[in-house]
Amino acid sequence: MLDTQQTFPWLLAVASGMFTIGALGVLIRRNPLVVFMCIELMLNAVNLAFVTYGHFLNSMDGQMFALMVVVVAAAEVVVGLALITQVFRSGRELDVDDLSEMSE
Amino acid sequence: MSHALLAATAIPQNGMSTDKAKTLVILVLVLPLAGALLNAALGPRLGRRFVNYAGTLSILASLIVTLVVFFTILGADQSLRSTTVTLWTYIDLGPGNLNVDVSFTLDQLSAVMMLVITGVGFLIHVYSVGYMEHDATPHRFFSYMNLFIFSMLLLVLAANLLILIVGWAMVGLASYLLIGYYYERRSAVLAARKAFITQVIGDIAMVVAAFMLVLGLGAHSLSLPVIFATAHDGFAVNGAYVTAICMLLALGAFAKSAQFPLHTWLPDAMEGPTPVSALIHAATMVTAGVYLIARFHTLFDMSVLAQGMVACVGMGTALMAGVIALSQIDIKRVIAFSTMSQIGLMIFAVGIGAYSAGMFHFITHAFFKALLFLAAGNVIHALHDEQDVRLMGGVERFMTNTGRYFLVGSVALAGIIPFAGYYSKEDLLGFGAVYGPGAPALYIAGLVVNVLTGIYAFRLYFLVFHGEPQTARISDAKEARRVMLVPVALLALGSVVSGFLLQFPLPGIGKNVIGDWLNPVFAQYGGTVLAEPSTATVLLTQLIGLAASLLGVGLARQWFFFHSPDAEVVASRVPRFLTLLSLHRFYFDDIYDAVLVRPSLAAARGVRRVIEPRYIDGAVRGVGSALSELSVDFRTYQTGFIRDYAAIMTIGAVGFVAIMVLLVAR
Repeated sequence: MLDTQQTFPWLLAVASGMFTIGALGVLIRRNPLVVFMCIELMLNAVNLAFVTYGHFLNSMDGQMFALMVVVVAAAEVVVGLALITQVFRSGRELDVDDLSEMSE
Repeated sequence: MSHALLAATAIPQNGMSTDKAKTLVILVLVLPLAGALLNAALGPRLGRRFVNYAGTLSILASLIVTLVVFFTILGADQSLRSTTVTLWTYIDLGPGNLNVDVSFTLDQLSAVMMLVITGVGFLIHVYSVGYMEHDATPHRFFSYMNLFIFSMLLLVLAANLLILIVGWAMVGLASYLLIGYYYERRSAVLAARKAFITQVIGDIAMVVAAFMLVLGLGAHSLSLPVIFATAHDGFAVNGAYVTAICMLLALGAFAKSAQFPLHTWLPDAMEGPTPVSALIHAATMVTAGVYLIARFHTLFDMSVLAQGMVACVGMGTALMAGVIALSQIDIKRVIAFSTMSQIGLMIFAVGIGAYSAGMFHFITHAFFKALLFLAAGNVIHALHDEQDVRLMGGVERFMTNTGRYFLVGSVALAGIIPFAGYYSKEDLLGFGAVYGPGAPALYIAGLVVNVLTGIYAFRLYFLVFHGEPQTARISDAKEARRVMLVPVALLALGSVVSGFLLQFPLPGIGKNVIGDWLNPVFAQYGGTVLAEPSTATVLLTQLIGLAASLLGVGLARQWFFFHSPDAEVVASRVPRFLTLLSLHRFYFDDIYDAVLVRPSLAAARGVRRVIEPRYIDGAVRGVGSALSELSVDFRTYQTGFIRDYAAIMTIGAVGFVAIMVLLVAR
C-alpha cells in the first residue's frame, strides 16, 4: 500500500500539474478536439485530487464524487463531440477562433 | 356606546323583530343585485325573454318585500316603528378608533322611499321591456337598471353614513352608465361624463362632512343614530362647525339633485334612454338630495344659516329652471327642467324644515313626472326618435291614450285640484308662507314658480298633442303597445289619487296621512315638527296657489293652443333679457365652459404637448439611451473567442482562490 505521509503531496502535485496543463491547453490550442481533450485532462486532475483526499481522510466521499464527475464528463463528451461533428459537417475549418459568432 | 344606543332603538316586542328585519333588508337588497348579476352574466346567452323576466321580476320581488316591510311598520306601535339592524362589522379598528357597521334602518321615511323606488321602479322596468324591444343589448340595459335600484335602496336604507355614501356614489355610477348607454354617440358619452364629474363634486363634499362628523363628535362611529343622538351634545346650535357640515351635506344634495350651482348635468342627462330619464332623472335618484336633508334633519335643525341657504337655493333653482323650461324645444329637456324646478320646491320645503311636506311632493312628483317621461317616451318611440316639439303637434289624434295620460301628468304637474301635484305643492307652499327665511318672500317666488309651471307644462302639452301636425310623419304615429301603456296608466292613476289620499289639505277635513306617518321620524332626537299653519292661512294659500297655477295654464292656452311655434310672437310679450336668459339657460353652460372646461382642456393640452414629451418621455428615453451608450464600452469585452472567456474564467477562479487563501492565512 501507499505510504500515506510521503505520497500525499506528490499525488496532489501530479493533480495540480495535470490541471495546469489542461487549463493552458484550453487557453492556447486552436483545435477544438485538442481543447476538448484538455478539458478531460482538467476533469481527471480534479478526480485524482478527489480520490487522494478521500483516501487520506478515510472517507468514501471523494470516490463518490469522482464517479459523479466521470458520469458528467461522459455526458459532456457526447454533447461536445456532437457539436464538433456538426461544425465539421457544415464545411467549416475546425478552429475555435473562427467560431466567434457570439461577439457583438 | 353604539351598541347601547342600537339596543335602545331596536324593537323588543310588537315592532319588527331583529331577525325579521335582517331577513327583509337582505332580501330587498339582494333581489335587484341578483337581477343585475344574472342579466350581466347570463343575459347575452339566454336571450331577450330571459332578460325581460329577470330584469322586471327581480324588482317585483323587491317590491313585494318592500310591501311586507311597509305593512309590518304600519302594524307596529307609533313608538316602535324604527328598527336598526347590523348585518356585520365592516371596519373595526378597536375601541377608541373608527368603527363602521353595515347597518340599515327600517323606519317610516325609508319605507316611503323604498315604496317609491321599487313601485315606480317596477312600472318603469315593465315599460322598458317595450321601449327597448329593438335594442341590441337589453341585458346591459336591465343589468344597469337593476344595479341602480340596488344602489338606491342601499342609499335610503343605510343607517351608517359610510354605507350611505357608498350607495350615494353607486347611484351616480348607475346614472353614468345609463346616460352613456348609447356609447356610440359622442354627445351621450360627454353627457355621462359631465353628470359623473358634477356628482363627484358632491360626493367629495359628503366625504369631507363625514370626516368632520367623526372629528367633531369624537364618537368614532359613522352610525347615523349615534350621530343624531350625540349631535346636540357635540355641537353648538348655529355654531360654525355644524353649519359647515350642513353646507357640505347640502352641496352633496345639490349635486345629486341638480340644484344651483351644480345643476347643468341634468338636461344633458336626457341623452340616456327615456325610461332612464323617468326612473333616475325624475322619480328617484335626483330626489336623493331631498331625502338626505330630511334624513339629516337633526343637523339641519341646528343651523339656521344652512337651512336658509338650502331654502334659497331650492327656490332659486325652481324659479330659474321654470324660466328655462319655457323656451326649450326638446320634449325631454322641457320635462328635465321641470324636474329641476319641482325638486327645487322640495329642497325649499326641507330647507324651511317642512320635511314631510317635501317628502310628500317627492311622492306625488315621482308619479306624475315618471308618467310625463314615459308618455313622452311613447311619443318619441312612435315618431322614430323625434324629440323636437316644433316638429310635433296634433299627436293626440293618433295616440289618444298616451295623449290623455300626458294631460293627466300635465294637470298634476301644474297643480290643479284635485290632481296630486296640487295637494303636495300647495302644502309645501303653505308652510313657505309662514316659515323660512324672510317669509313670505320665498313664498311669493313660489307663486311665480306656480305660474311658470302652468305655462311650461301646458305649452308642452299643446305643442305636442294639439294643433296641426307639423310633419307628415306624425300621421304614421301608432299608439304604443300595451306593455308600454299599462305602466303609464297606473302612474296616471297614482298622479290622480296620491294627492288627496295622502293628505287632504284642509285641517279638520280628512286626514293628514303623510304627516302622521312621517312626522314621528322628524321628531326624533329632539327634532321639532313645524306646526300646521292656521286654517285661514291654509285656505288662503291654497286659493292663491290654485289661482296662480290656473293663470299659468290660461297663458299657455292663449299662447300655444293653436300650435304657434312662432317663438317671436311669445317672446315679444316678455322682456327681452328674460327670453335670452331662458334660451341660453342662464348662460351657466357657457360660463362653466369658459371658466372651467376650456382652461382645464388648455392646461391638459399644454401638459401633453410640453411636459409629457420633454419630461416624462424624456426620462424614459434617457434611461434607455444612457444604458445603450454605456454598453458601447462593455461590448468590447464580448469578443466571441472562447479562449478569452476561458482566460477570464481562469483568472477569476485563481483570483478567488488567492483571496480565500490570503484570508484564511490571516
